[in-house]
Amino acid sequence: MGRRTATTRTAALLAAMTLSLAACAESEEGGGGSGASADETGPITIGAVLDITGAGASLGVPERQALELLAAQLEEEGGIDGREVELIIEDNQSTEDGAAKAMNKLVNEDEVDIVLGASRTGPSLAMRPIAESSETPMISLAANQAIVDGSEWVFKTAQNDRVVIERMIDYMAEQGWSTIGLARDASGFGEGVQEMFDEVGAEQGLSVVATEKFAPDATDFTAQMVNLRNAGADVNVIWGIPPAAGLAQRAYDQLGIETPVMQSHGIGNQVFLDTSGEAAAGMVAPLGRLVVAEQLPDDDPQKEIITEFIDAYTAEFGAGPSTFSGHAYDGWQLAVDALREVGTDPQAIREHLEGVTDFTGISGTFTMTPEDHSGLTKEALVLVTVEDGQWQLVPDQAD
Amino acid sequence: MTDLLQLLFAGLSQGAVYALVAIGFVAIFTVSGVINLAQGEFAALAGLVAISAVGSGLPLLAAVVLAVLSVALVAVIMERLVIFPVKRMTTLVSLILTLGVSTGLKALMLLVYGPNAEGLTPLTPGSFSLGGVSIRYQELWILLIAGVVSLAVYWFYERTLAGKSLRACAEQPVAARLVGISLTKASLLSFLIAGTVGAIAGVLASPIYFTSWESGLTLGLKGFVAATLGGLISVRGAVLGGLLLGVLETLTAGYISTGLRDAVAFLLLIIVLVARPAGIFGRTAEARV
Amino acid sequence: MTRRLPRIGAHRRRSRRGDVIGIAVVALLMLALPLVASSSVINVGVYALIYALAALGLSLLMGLAGQVSLGQAGFFAIGAYTQAVLVTRYEWSGLPASVLAVAVTMTAALLVGLPLLRLRGHYLALATLGFGIIVTVLATESDFLGATSGIFGITKPELNNRTYNSPTEYYLLLVPVVLLGLWLARNIVESRIGRALGAVNDSEVAAESLGVDTFRLRVQVFVLSAAYASVAGTAFAHWLGVINPNAANFPLSVKFLLMAVLGGVGSVYGAVVGAFAVEGLDDGLRRLIPELLPGAVGEVQLIGFGILLTTIMIFLPGGLHQLWTGARRRMAGDTSAPVPEDEGEARLEPVADDVPLLAREGRPAPGTPLLEVRGLTKRFGGVTAVDDFDLTVAAGEIVALIGPNGAGKTTAFNMISGAVPPTAGEVTMAGTRVEGRKPHVFARAGATRTFQNLQIFASATVLGNVMVGRHLRSRSGMLGAALVLPARREERAVEESARELLELLGLGEDADRLAVDLPFGRQRLVEIARALALDPDLLLLDEPMAGLSGTERRELARLLRRLRAGGMAIVLVEHDVEAVLALADRVAVLEDGVRIALGTPDEVRHDPAVIAAYLGVEPEDEAATAAAEAGTP
Repeated sequence: MGRRTATTRTAALLAAMTLSLAACAESEEGGGGSGASADETGPITIGAVLDITGAGASLGVPERQALELLAAQLEEEGGIDGREVELIIEDNQSTEDGAAKAMNKLVNEDEVDIVLGASRTGPSLAMRPIAESSETPMISLAANQAIVDGSEWVFKTAQNDRVVIERMIDYMAEQGWSTIGLARDASGFGEGVQEMFDEVGAEQGLSVVATEKFAPDATDFTAQMVNLRNAGADVNVIWGIPPAAGLAQRAYDQLGIETPVMQSHGIGNQVFLDTSGEAAAGMVAPLGRLVVAEQLPDDDPQKEIITEFIDAYTAEFGAGPSTFSGHAYDGWQLAVDALREVGTDPQAIREHLEGVTDFTGISGTFTMTPEDHSGLTKEALVLVTVEDGQWQLVPDQAD
Repeated sequence: MTDLLQLLFAGLSQGAVYALVAIGFVAIFTVSGVINLAQGEFAALAGLVAISAVGSGLPLLAAVVLAVLSVALVAVIMERLVIFPVKRMTTLVSLILTLGVSTGLKALMLLVYGPNAEGLTPLTPGSFSLGGVSIRYQELWILLIAGVVSLAVYWFYERTLAGKSLRACAEQPVAARLVGISLTKASLLSFLIAGTVGAIAGVLASPIYFTSWESGLTLGLKGFVAATLGGLISVRGAVLGGLLLGVLETLTAGYISTGLRDAVAFLLLIIVLVARPAGIFGRTAEARV
Repeated sequence: MTRRLPRIGAHRRRSRRGDVIGIAVVALLMLALPLVASSSVINVGVYALIYALAALGLSLLMGLAGQVSLGQAGFFAIGAYTQAVLVTRYEWSGLPASVLAVAVTMTAALLVGLPLLRLRGHYLALATLGFGIIVTVLATESDFLGATSGIFGITKPELNNRTYNSPTEYYLLLVPVVLLGLWLARNIVESRIGRALGAVNDSEVAAESLGVDTFRLRVQVFVLSAAYASVAGTAFAHWLGVINPNAANFPLSVKFLLMAVLGGVGSVYGAVVGAFAVEGLDDGLRRLIPELLPGAVGEVQLIGFGILLTTIMIFLPGGLHQLWTGARRRMAGDTSAPVPEDEGEARLEPVADDVPLLAREGRPAPGTPLLEVRGLTKRFGGVTAVDDFDLTVAAGEIVALIGPNGAGKTTAFNMISGAVPPTAGEVTMAGTRVEGRKPHVFARAGATRTFQNLQIFASATVLGNVMVGRHLRSRSGMLGAALVLPARREERAVEESARELLELLGLGEDADRLAVDLPFGRQRLVEIARALALDPDLLLLDEPMAGLSGTERRELARLLRRLRAGGMAIVLVEHDVEAVLALADRVAVLEDGVRIALGTPDEVRHDPAVIAAYLGVEPEDEAATAAAEAGTP
């Protein structure tokens, strides 16, 4: 049985090689330490993880366009302090593991200085532990407050769901409603939303009486809407992103439900208007000012910057931007501002972001603190409805 | 009661789409034993072609015809390029080949039409209410056209010479060859039928259920479950299987949990495969088309 | 509709070395990678290693059990989720957690496999597809498992106070795991279990008749394959730090399938090669396609995948492994030409007549009733193939079953041996009721058979064929086989006894040839040797003389007499009536499914009914046919 002995010997040899190589690697890696490079001369790299395909495509695609536009503008200006800025965009396919994979790659392989993204809550949550453990600054473009709760390295630009819900509850109380029916996104974006409505609404006597869920890529909403109809609440809330949110709006209308309906801030793009069509008429949602820029009073502090962005974006892509491209715009500007001010040292970037005060962006005016990594209040939102397929400011809102 | 009717109706129209996709599976499987995992992509592609044709100014009907024709062509090309050259078609080979085509088609759609989901203009927009049950005109179109197409396919297999030859190929390949029916032609014809029926499913479903580059996966899998419920070799079984699946899904979503909707389909698939491989409606070991 | 997958360990003797070389080459390449490659390549390599484990499991399932699973990711996810829950919720450390994770997954696989593995081919593939999707849905719906978002914050593994943080470190942590996985897989393929499963792929009925419990083994391989997937799942969870329902989903199962197929299901190391190829391509295409097609976003690299997948399946169905073996064969010059038909007869050893052969302790005493058949009946539709057939066979006698073509002899054999369930009647073998049960039950009761239409294990050597016959006379299971050492001595004993049998039947020189390369007549002898390897108390031979030359027939008859002297009972169906009458103690005559006579050769020879029905009709023609088959005019 000489053959067997030979193979055993081969195995032993291989095992030995593995061990010695592992030892080599250990000495090469040295202390390990943070993934991000603190190199002060080479090009600056900004990574972005976006939901470009999959259920979040209607968010991720305009975000990618906004980032590419801004990166091109910055390149024309000559970068930051003469250093070239490289933008690396990864698609997470609207999945959590895709986001973690992409984040791992950006941190380990590209050694980026800061990461933007992801577009939606779930993928952002998946990226957060990697940002924290590799000590890489990250600015999420998604909504759920859980993304930044208690975080050290993670920031975000989209309005927190909490402030959105505050704004919605205010409106509901004004209208004299007391019961809420909720149809929410089954993914990260919708998680915890019912609890938050109950919590925020408690003071004003509002509570959720029925909750339905739908997958972000769902196309048939009959069952959920039938159940909402039966719940008989004073107001129904559809909490999701297009196209699902638009299709749900359509199913709601088609079933002839007369109860008023509100949507979240997740619908601020043309895809929502296209998918919901006439069904959206009368729906009320708290959105960023971007969608109603022309209707803003001239003294609105955000009006100038929003109009500028809309013009540049429209000139480049032939269609107007969405609130999501606005979130990307804000993320980019915050990142570039920090890089310009303090360079590429991750700790310095983090501290700078925590100190951001009255930073005017598309989604609102940001004031961050070590406790609040989101920086927006409910003032960042205006109530908007849809008339004839166009966004309209709801008149006479308490602002 | 109104709720039940509403859910049943939604289930039937969804089920009719499944049924059409399922017929495509049956058409190909009976002739060559190939399970065509690209069947769902046929539907998605048809939807996207029609949407972009309408977007570029073509009238709706012309766009639909264009979509159906081009997908039928794609199916035929697929058969010639991918299925025909393989001499020894095993389960594994057929699954992987059609998966390959499905993957390639998906990526191609992503490249050409982008990542967003869109809906085709409905044949008749709007809806009406009947005894509290709200019905979209498009849903009526789905039921009507799916019914007509199913009957036509059934008639083709039962009454025409070409259809009977296809059945002969499925049931008695050697005998079929002896009487001069070419398996090659039969295979090509089966893909033509599958492509056409799948494309019709795609354009019918698009206004309500929307179409994106990746919507073929779910549709294909559901269609396949429907076909299996019907025994995989029977057009009648496929149609019944599709309708049953659609109704079961909406009832589960309505009365149990919306999240369990997809589990129902596949649980049913496993139970049927283990307990009644000939399908719920199939008579055991009796090949029928 | 024979649907066969390439089988691991086919052409056994050559592959034994081939696999070791393959594994060694793969191992060296894996180890060399971190020395030469950039960090981005190693990042890809980490995923390749993780996925390789799952693909390896799948490749075992496909190569050994001949079954395709489209739900491998389901087990991958079960392993990953268990690990994630244990590590994040209960603060277990990684290693014990992974042991439990694998155990949980294997239990799940057992529960899933028991009902599902009754299915075959595409039905099984699709049922496993359903399983994967159900796991996805359940994970999505379970708040405990974090619903759609899944479980976050799984830390990188720590061993000896060292955290495996960077891609290179994690890569080198995984390499030994993958090598170990390869090593175990190879041992199983080469083992008693692997041999039996290979035999099942070639001829299920023959393997079953030799005592191989096909269903049981399939379930075992299914569970094993799930275990591989779960190890991959735990590695994945730690590396990514997050696990969500996508891990169970269809596209990942497809990826595993692609890796196994691309590498080549016919080899053990193929899955690893496939994993590196797929992950490398994925990464490469992701970079390449946006440059070729500006403006392409997202998963456009899938185009490349689709094209690749179809092209490989059409032009290289054996995967990369096929390229490798093809190249090797061309270099070596193919030496496995079939033995020419006229290369002479098998050289049975000339021994004095009637010296007892294969006598052993515990053999039933001559005259003890062994096989009792009562009222055996088989109807196919309206036709009654066998009608109310009775027969008792005692130890130490030769009973012949004769009758014209279509009289129902083989059908009776099939029912007795369990290959076909009877419509009515009972079969008792050594006290065990065996009718309607599987052939392996019959074999366990101490009886086996040969086949009229040869059921040789085509992808095994002559020796390999006979070794399968020792299945019931050896015991090592999957675990023992995986660990080699306990099974080694047994393997040696099995090989020795198989070689002895081959010598006995004059096949010693053919031992290492592929069985299918032998002439027809000698393949029959291989089947007989294979059946004898089981060391049965009762041997059913279906036309053993067909295809043998005159000398070979005489030698075979002598062998049978010696076996009888050793205490074995033999029932044979035979066309060569004269040979039978000279050999048998008793003769049963079947006509149109009915037993028309039973008695000593003399009685039967003079039975008027027999003469009318059979002997009188055209005995000359019968003899002529038999002679023609034997190739000796």
